[in-house]
Amino acid sequence: MNRFPLWARIGALLLALAVFGYAGWRLWASRAPGGVVPVVAADTTQAGMRSMTLYFPDADGERLRSETREMLEQEGLHERVAQLVQALDQGPTRGAVAVLPAGTSVLHAYLDDQGLLTLDLSGAFRQSFSGGARTEELAIGSLVRTLGDNLPEVKRVLLVCGGAPLVSLGGHLPLDQPLDPHDWP
Amino acid sequence: MRRGLALVALTVLLGATPAPVPAPVPVTPAASPGATPAEPAVPAAAGIQSAPVVAIDGVNMVSAQDLARLLDASRFWRADVRKLVLRAPRLRITLTVDTPIAIVDDQTVRLAGSVRSRRGELFVPVSLLTALPRDSSTARLVFDPAALRVRVAPLAGYVGSPFVQTSGGVTRVVFPAERAESADVAGRSRARFRVRVPGAFAGALPDSLPEDGVVRDLRLSPAASGVIFELALAPETANFRILRDNGRVTLEFASVPTPGFERFAAEAPAGPRAVHLIVLDAGHGGIDSGTRVGTAIEKELTLQLARVLAPELERRTGARVVLTRSDDRALTQEARAEAANRARADLVLSLHFDGFPSPGAHGATVFCPPASTSDAARAGYTPLALTTWREVAVQHAVASRTLAEALSGALESHGFGPVRVRERLPVALLGVNAPGILVECSTLTSPDDLTKLLRPAGLRVLASAIADGVVAFQRDE
Repeated sequence: MNRFPLWARIGALLLALAVFGYAGWRLWASRAPGGVVPVVAADTTQAGMRSMTLYFPDADGERLRSETREMLEQEGLHERVAQLVQALDQGPTRGAVAVLPAGTSVLHAYLDDQGLLTLDLSGAFRQSFSGGARTEELAIGSLVRTLGDNLPEVKRVLLVCGGAPLVSLGGHLPLDQPLDPHDWP
Repeated sequence: MRRGLALVALTVLLGATPAPVPAPVPVTPAASPGATPAEPAVPAAAGIQSAPVVAIDGVNMVSAQDLARLLDASRFWRADVRKLVLRAPRLRITLTVDTPIAIVDDQTVRLAGSVRSRRGELFVPVSLLTALPRDSSTARLVFDPAALRVRVAPLAGYVGSPFVQTSGGVTRVVFPAERAESADVAGRSRARFRVRVPGAFAGALPDSLPEDGVVRDLRLSPAASGVIFELALAPETANFRILRDNGRVTLEFASVPTPGFERFAAEAPAGPRAVHLIVLDAGHGGIDSGTRVGTAIEKELTLQLARVLAPELERRTGARVVLTRSDDRALTQEARAEAANRARADLVLSLHFDGFPSPGAHGATVFCPPASTSDAARAGYTPLALTTWREVAVQHAVASRTLAEALSGALESHGFGPVRVRERLPVALLGVNAPGILVECSTLTSPDDLTKLLRPAGLRVLASAIADGVVAFQRDE
């Protein structure tokens, strides 16, 4: 004689079928590659992932090294520039050195029809800087190389700070002229 | 049994889905390019982006993530239909897992194999590359079967091997360049004649140079925007010209003055140089302390060094030495430049000490003016390639570079190396009408450098090294 009534056995069977059905659906849905390839709801949304190349100095302060970072795609110029500057401010993930003065952020970004990007950075860019000419050279190089590499429309970069012209970051290298990203290897 | 069932149900309901086991797909280094259309071997050039190619089921494949990176494309994954869309500004590629079909913009492309999923990553047959548009809006990708890599062919193209030949008293240096029309002379001195060419160098330098020619040395310097050929020419070389035609650049150097040829930059005659007055510019000062590491403060060290170096230079060179500041005060760059120009300086040394966030950085750096005019003028932002007074120091680029090399050698030999020489106009030389350099004598944030400097005779040894360099420059050694 069975301890459970018929209705209870049918109910348990239906529950088991529901659980296995849900598990099967989850497995089918997750068969797609995960991890490296980002899962975005649908390509009709405007949110995609993009590989960005960031430049940081090596620990010896000799040269810039590139680091690839996966980032959410941004539409506007200001957002794209701000995203890159923020990533530089957060620093590298391995081996290299962060040289962008801490707390630097983008106030405004303007791009003219000749590809000149006028980048207005927050006061922290100048106030938080410390170091010698090597740090200064690599900080500027890190910034303009990163912008030049990820924003093909940017041919030259003019740095200003808090809406005012910036003569120099640390007093060693002039910043009152537009900078060519290619001149900062 | 019931407990196991409940555990599975709980696992599923909490979302910790067991990882799907992918079909066993062997991934091995590609052995032969046979599974893909043959493409010309691409020379490996420095600075070119690339991605590895693997063979999956005998088909050469590149990961979709690498493909997106090389194309500068965004990735959109549709899990419900297992499609990956790569979207670049003027390109859209749709890939479907386990399907040998790709859609490139509106065209359906048959691939050499199916798009495969492996360890959470999609792999695409490299045969897709042949279907990508070949216009300037999209990176040009090529499969290099020899190196088993997919490379981005530089938009500026490639620069090939130079060869040197001599005939009729003219020495010619010829090299192929896809953007020959953009080749430009970056330095006009005989000692360091430099030509900048857009593109990636994919060739080799000649093993030897003709003995009857005027080219004494030929080197290559990488630059992010291309390459720079650097030539050392015989002092008797009279003039030069550059020809750009049909993907080829020809440099012609004549031994006698020739109509239509250009002149070299003015150079000081060889032999001892007249150095009667040297300006020592102690960096920073006043509220500008410069780099500070413990008790070592840059503005104080530069002033101490200037005070030790001044009598050393006067004794060994016979020149008079003027300091831009002799106490702790802030000076504008205009004031420093005016001090040097009023004194009619033959040499200007701006003294600094370096600092870097990492203790691994050490040694010295010498900055000297570049031979070309400002970035703005080069880029065409000014209608005429004028040298502004701000950049007057570039007129002394050749002598400044010689001084930088002399000082570099002296610092190295006294143990202050490694020394880096940078051709970049520093603030300290803006408006300075004389050969000059900015020298970061050592790195205060390096424990070794700091210990060496703070020894009792540390500054004296450093001053002696700098004086050695100035004397070598003066004697043209």
